[in-house]
Amino acid sequence: MDIVKDESSSQDEKPNKKAAFEFNLSSQAPSAHAIQNKRARLNRAKMQTGDVVMDDVLNTELPADFSKELEKLQKADAHISDPKTTWPRPEAPSLDIMATSLVFQQMEIDEEFVPDNNTVIPRLFGVTDEGYSVVCFVKGFFPYFYCPAPDGFKEENIPMVIAELNRLAQQNGQSSNNNIPGLNAVVDIQMCMKEPLFGYHGNVKAPFFKIIVRNPKLVRPMSQIVKRGFNVHGVGHYAGTFYESNLEFTIRFMVDTDIVGASWIELPAGKYSLRPSTKTFCQYEVEVNYNDLIAHEPVGEWSKVAPLRVLSVDIECAGRPGVFPEAQIDPVIQIASVVTLQGQKMPFIRNVLTLNTCAPIPGVHVMSFENEADMLSQWAQFVQTCDPDIVIGYNTTDFDLPYLLDRAVALKVQNFPFLGRIRDTVSKVSSTHFSSKAYGTRDSKAVNMEGRVQFDVLAAMRREYKLRSFSLNAVSAKFLGEQKEDVPYSIITDLQNESAETRRRLAVYCLKDAFLPQRLVDKLMFLVNSMEMARVTGVPFNYLLTRGQQIKVVSQLFRHSSRQDLVVPVIESQGGDNQYEGATVIEPKRGYYDMPIATLDFASLYPSIMMAHNLCYTTLLNRQTIERFELVKDVDYVVTPTNDCFVKSSKRVGLLPHILKELLSARKQAKNEMKNETDPFRIQVLNGRQLALKISANSVYGFTGALNGRLPCLQISASVTAFGRDMINETVKEVEKQYTMANGYEHDATVIYGDTDSVMVKFGVNTLEEAMRLGQEAADHVTSKFINPIKLEFEKVYFPYLLINKKRYAGLYWTRPEKYDKLDTKGLETVRRDNCQLVPLVLDTCLRMLLIDRNVDGAVEYAKNTISDLLQNKVDLSMLVISKQLSKTDYAAKQAHVELAERMRKRDAGSAPQLGDRVPYVIIKGTKDAKAYEKAEDPIYVLDNNLPIDTNYYLEHQLTNPLTRIFEPILGSKVTSLFKGNHTRTIRVAAPTTGAMARFMVKTNTCLSCKIPLKGEYQHRAVCKHCEPKLPEIYIRNMDVMRELEMRYARLWTECQRCQGSINREVVCTNRDCPIFYMRKKGQKDAEEQAKVMDRFDYTW
Amino acid sequence: MIEAVIPQASLLKKIIEAIKELVDEANFDFSETGIRLQAMDKSHIALSFLHLRSDGFSEYRCDRSQTLGINLNSFSKILKCSANDDQVQIKAADEAEALSLTFENSAKDRMSEFNLKLMDIDIDSVEVPDMDYQATVSMSAQEFARIVRDLGSIGEAVTIDATKQGVRFSATGDDGSGNILLKHQKSVDDDSTSATTVEITEPVSHSLALKYLANFAKAAPLADRVTINLIEEAPVMFEFKISDMGHIRFYLAPQIEEDND
Repeated sequence: MDIVKDESSSQDEKPNKKAAFEFNLSSQAPSAHAIQNKRARLNRAKMQTGDVVMDDVLNTELPADFSKELEKLQKADAHISDPKTTWPRPEAPSLDIMATSLVFQQMEIDEEFVPDNNTVIPRLFGVTDEGYSVVCFVKGFFPYFYCPAPDGFKEENIPMVIAELNRLAQQNGQSSNNNIPGLNAVVDIQMCMKEPLFGYHGNVKAPFFKIIVRNPKLVRPMSQIVKRGFNVHGVGHYAGTFYESNLEFTIRFMVDTDIVGASWIELPAGKYSLRPSTKTFCQYEVEVNYNDLIAHEPVGEWSKVAPLRVLSVDIECAGRPGVFPEAQIDPVIQIASVVTLQGQKMPFIRNVLTLNTCAPIPGVHVMSFENEADMLSQWAQFVQTCDPDIVIGYNTTDFDLPYLLDRAVALKVQNFPFLGRIRDTVSKVSSTHFSSKAYGTRDSKAVNMEGRVQFDVLAAMRREYKLRSFSLNAVSAKFLGEQKEDVPYSIITDLQNESAETRRRLAVYCLKDAFLPQRLVDKLMFLVNSMEMARVTGVPFNYLLTRGQQIKVVSQLFRHSSRQDLVVPVIESQGGDNQYEGATVIEPKRGYYDMPIATLDFASLYPSIMMAHNLCYTTLLNRQTIERFELVKDVDYVVTPTNDCFVKSSKRVGLLPHILKELLSARKQAKNEMKNETDPFRIQVLNGRQLALKISANSVYGFTGALNGRLPCLQISASVTAFGRDMINETVKEVEKQYTMANGYEHDATVIYGDTDSVMVKFGVNTLEEAMRLGQEAADHVTSKFINPIKLEFEKVYFPYLLINKKRYAGLYWTRPEKYDKLDTKGLETVRRDNCQLVPLVLDTCLRMLLIDRNVDGAVEYAKNTISDLLQNKVDLSMLVISKQLSKTDYAAKQAHVELAERMRKRDAGSAPQLGDRVPYVIIKGTKDAKAYEKAEDPIYVLDNNLPIDTNYYLEHQLTNPLTRIFEPILGSKVTSLFKGNHTRTIRVAAPTTGAMARFMVKTNTCLSCKIPLKGEYQHRAVCKHCEPKLPEIYIRNMDVMRELEMRYARLWTECQRCQGSINREVVCTNRDCPIFYMRKKGQKDAEEQAKVMDRFDYTW
Repeated sequence: MIEAVIPQASLLKKIIEAIKELVDEANFDFSETGIRLQAMDKSHIALSFLHLRSDGFSEYRCDRSQTLGINLNSFSKILKCSANDDQVQIKAADEAEALSLTFENSAKDRMSEFNLKLMDIDIDSVEVPDMDYQATVSMSAQEFARIVRDLGSIGEAVTIDATKQGVRFSATGDDGSGNILLKHQKSVDDDSTSATTVEITEPVSHSLALKYLANFAKAAPLADRVTINLIEEAPVMFEFKISDMGHIRFYLAPQIEEDND
């Protein structure tokens, strides 16, 4: 058998004891055919929980072999003789600036300081449709702020005001540059007619100064000078408030030029010039006046995407045992890079730089170096040559890139830290602190790479998804269905030091880590969606990962306000947490509903309230204004349930309602286009856009309620929620009033639950069709009672429906009567991640049985079996792992994961969890009064030392409550029978191989049949005297167990070999996120134990 | 078929009380010679062995060896239904699913019967090999319980120093320290329940967690005397002899730092 022959070579490679054992068992691995049969047989048989889970994993589509994939790529690239020729961008023809206009998609906008005249000019980096890189310097744009002009000011006096302000600036030490005369702080002042954003002013504009200053740093000091007051010619001393002084320069520039993130820019022929010097690595280096550039709105033709170069990187370091790699000491041994053109499936550059030799890898350009410094400098040169627009990777911002830079410093590689597009700008590592309500707080590092966008897939993952584990393995398994080999830190150094073959293995592993982020980006459409978000909200692309939610609303607000000649005030952050009342939740009528429950939802509730009632900064009224303009209640203005007043749209259309209307109609349009579109890539783009539009519309309300935000306005946000509450209550009343027997309906309808923007109605009818018809009717009926565009929609019917509590329910979701769509659960442990995986698995299965199969007995049986398996230690360990994020070390109360991380650090500092990691643990048995934190233990340590699992903890603290919650409405008080009874009377307790006592104990054999301890002559036999007659039967039973265990282990082993892409080598993977890993470990252990048992039969025959 | 009669329920109550602090469930091994039980506490530091000889029962019958898995908390609850002076009969058929308990009062005019469902406990059976102890302290069980209680209010660990002169128990805590010295008495008189003897080949010192000793002390009502057997770097063995019936032994592993493993 081929497999076996190959296996023997693996034994030679690493003659350690453990590996040898693993080999022994696997050498009995049956042929693939046998496994197939076995699997089929097993599937048919009734199986234990653990088996089911494992087979689920095994039966999923096996990932394509990574090495084979690479080989395929090699064939495609067979014509390329020197891989380095693929690095540079296509040769750019020289530009005829008078005849051709230059069109490119900008991906990055930043500023450059020009010391000559002490100004800052925006720089746009981008790529043309042909793939040529462009940098465009924009001249003539200065930052500015507004201040109301004093009454009676005459425009011809402006030069005097400029002079006065410049005098004050000089006095204040704020003159732009004392050494260069004539470079005054204030460049110019223009008069314009504007209207403050806050409050209704009868639509009257007033004269404002637009004070234009030399560079962004002068905006704040100049606004302070204005606030303190200055002498205005012909008016006297004047102190003005300032507006819009807190807008970032980049956003200011983009707002004024109508450039949105990742949009296309056109420089018309004859309007731009080529720069004489080449300060950058870009192919075209041009200059343009800001008035001359054309910003294309990203619609129609201009919603396309340029052939951006996306570089994905991963590095490997050779750490020392027990220590996390430190750049000062530990070398970088490999750097894998893959470059993909946006929109293409496969990377066209694939290379890996290795320290020391490396056996060739088909399809990959391997470059080996004797000297680490040479390797680093080659990589820097590679980056400069291939000139990527976007740099991605997994945790690259926090680890790979900083490590490379630090390492280059340690090795004094002078030409390394130039990773950006500006030739003489050094890339450095800096620390950043990010804090956002939506995304949480995080300390991280940052590396500057001017002109290139960094998109760390880990950071994006953390923003977009809530997962148990964020390791690349876990994420790839979840989204790509690919498990990868996880080489433990500790053996990387060994693999590096051994041979060219082992280094090749490492290189393949490293390459895979570079491939996976690219695939994640493609699969989850991170770039496309982010680009659309940047286009919709108008912020530069990189803001999406580096900034919070607010800036997106700010950007849109300024864009619209400038079009309406509104000026935005600067509101100092008030802090505080003056809470206003939130959404309403109707007290649920708990229970199990074996009848259709219709759900009515308000579509985009908060945006539609703002639109319906014209709630905005610009429409806010106070008493004085109402009196001054003699406004009439309910004719000219509305009074909200919180007693705030807003003028009606007949007087003035609010800015926010206007923005919202645009967003929602754009979304509708995107959705329509999607329907008619056939190109899958275009559909992705459009879908990304409609999502971005939806999110943007919903974030407007939050923006007005953020007290420490840019522009809080509680009158708006509190009114919005108050309207929302009233509407829900109104809906309940209306439905219960209309659908009654008195009105000729079959039953009285009741609202059994409602939350924020939806109500659940029990119409009392028994068929889906009937419930759907009534639901639709009720939605239309209620909608007619509200102001346009508020719309109550009938969305779905739950049937059956299990209402457990507020925000906790489950039901079968139907949108058409023929077939249910899905099983929908809210707030149940199926979706939470602070428990072990057994809980969601059991809950989900039980719910499916209850709600889909309507099989209550089956569900009870299943729950009992699971509990029984748990108590007998038959549940797979991976099912019991709980994980919590280690977010800070100084918790006041002791927490299990924190304590464990500390203990693990003492055992082995290198592999111990770091701050920000999720710590996996299981609960083991401890003394009676032991705290939970004392009983938490590392799952691998538990496996290695055979520590007994505290099954009671899992039963009482993990399973009991969730199961009670879902079964109680159905079983009533009988629910406790789930947790007590015969199925809980068989238990298995492992005897630990570690601990203080273990060294002194001797295990004694017990009879395999009746469990009585064996003594004397029977001591080493299989059974006791009484059971001897049954020996053959017992032998066969145990033999079956043995075969089963070996088979299982062999299958797991083969699975891991397949995953690592080679059946010739031993499995070294310690991927904690892979369920197979724990099963393999357990499988090995079980097989070993059973083998010992089998030895005991040897004494006679 | 198993049948055993114990003249006084209080004895069984005390035995179960002493063990149930360490384990929740345990296997009782019934054989012709008597009943054995071994249990390791959940933190794998202490091990307890119970041996009740068949001749200690007023009636005892065991046709074939059998292992009964029992939830000790449930067992204890049922035993609470008996009066101390009641006679207890325990009965189990072969392959039984339940253990039957019958309590009969001394006047023989009240009989109560209970059934305790049995468990199937799959647990490894272990033994601690006999050792040549360097020191054996024999002392009053009551005294032992008192010392454990007293020092428990001072600190978390007790140091036992056995020398030719006697045995010293000492503890140190945040609020202070204390020690108790029991002198070796050469000849054991007839009324020796309170006397302390130390047989010694070499002085030994051990530091032990008091919370375990407090559990062991629950066995004090079963016996007049306790022997403490010490040897360097090995578990300490506490033995309580149950008069005319057998013994209950506790092994406690020496304290080791986890970092060493």
